[in-house]
Amino acid sequence: MKISLLHDIIWFVGLILLQTLVLNRISVFGVAVPILYIYFLIKLPRNSNLFYVVISGFLMGLIIDIFLNTPGMNAAATTIVATLRKPLIDVFFSKVEYEDFVPSIYTGTGAFLRYIVVMVLLHQTLLFFIESFTFFNLTSTFIHIAASSVLTLILIVALDSLMYRRTSGI
Amino acid sequence: MRNLINFIIRNSWWLLAVLLIVFSFYLVFTQNSYQRSVYLSSANRVSAELYRISGKLTSYFYMQKNNEELLAQNAKLQNELQALKSYLNDLALDSIQTQSFVGDSVSDMRFRFIPANVVNVSFFGSNNYITLDKGLQEGVKADMGVVSQNGIVGVILAASDHFSVVIPIVNPKFRLSAKLKHSENSGSVVWDGKDLHYAQLEQLPKHEVFHEGDTVVTSFSRIFPKDMIVGYVVGQGKTNDDNFNAFKIRLATDFYTLQHVLIIDDTYYEEEYSLEKSVEQP
Repeated sequence: MKISLLHDIIWFVGLILLQTLVLNRISVFGVAVPILYIYFLIKLPRNSNLFYVVISGFLMGLIIDIFLNTPGMNAAATTIVATLRKPLIDVFFSKVEYEDFVPSIYTGTGAFLRYIVVMVLLHQTLLFFIESFTFFNLTSTFIHIAASSVLTLILIVALDSLMYRRTSGI
Repeated sequence: MRNLINFIIRNSWWLLAVLLIVFSFYLVFTQNSYQRSVYLSSANRVSAELYRISGKLTSYFYMQKNNEELLAQNAKLQNELQALKSYLNDLALDSIQTQSFVGDSVSDMRFRFIPANVVNVSFFGSNNYITLDKGLQEGVKADMGVVSQNGIVGVILAASDHFSVVIPIVNPKFRLSAKLKHSENSGSVVWDGKDLHYAQLEQLPKHEVFHEGDTVVTSFSRIFPKDMIVGYVVGQGKTNDDNFNAFKIRLATDFYTLQHVLIIDDTYYEEEYSLEKSVEQP
């Protein structure tokens, strides 16, 4: 239990640093910004305490907001995604899987891909539409959502494949 | 009873979720007070310190370009110096008449410049902010103007002891009054949220004409000195209002490679502000 908490904290801090110091400076063609920190929520075990999921999602969003000076936007979007995470997992993965099930690209590639596509699209849509409350430009919002989602998905698949290879190699 | 409480505790996670979401939206909709708060912005100690370290590292990548820019700037200043020197020589011949003016402008400097380094530029969608490594301790306060060597950058939004956050021209919430250099009609510069290199000069009278490459400078502003360069006209802009004209302008400051800026300390700011405030009061 303690080891898994430590594992989570390292991922939490690592993803925040990666997001704020590296990824947010990347802007492909001025439209696509990779928003990878959602990976933390994707990789939490299925039967995680729901309080834990919601609070960690909210905290993650809030810390990202503090770094980016975006008031509450990431916090709102990430909390909503964290709330909907459990039902989504139940939709995409069959219920018979074992207790500590962690979604991964090697435990059912098709289901995992569908799961991350929905999570990322939901997150990005929320994020860019919350942003659009203050600044409305529908076409560019959609382009942003699509481009950023594709970029984020590519990164998540790459990261997930990489993690699996490293743990299985040891 | 115990079962009931357990049931509520087990299922109240969504209540917490709703509360947190409501709180987040509260933050979204009360933006101004939030952004003025030092603790919840990147001017706070931890995030700013982190940005300062990473800024130090990444500044090496831009060294070449900065160097070239500094050389160009140097050359320009050198030229000006030579021109002024020769001008001064000419004046020295009839210094008797000008004696009464000399010394006046030197002792009474209105604008003081504080050099600062950019420690972070956050471009998230259209909500762009810049964090600088100078704060209250160096005399930086909210509402001071910020310029680069090429043109204006933005305005200080919040300052902590050692850091400050700038709202740049490339933020849709920022508006700046500006005009074409050869004209006296002022309009306002607005960023449309798409490209960090371009903005629009709006609300100009219909009869205003432009030539490509015309310089856009600041007009009446409490924050910037007059005639500071904002950008250059590149073409006709889009406007929803047929009674006004709009031009597309290329911004003089390159926000992608921004490293060094100057903060303008207007020594008369307080005086002007309080005077205007006293007039507004009924």
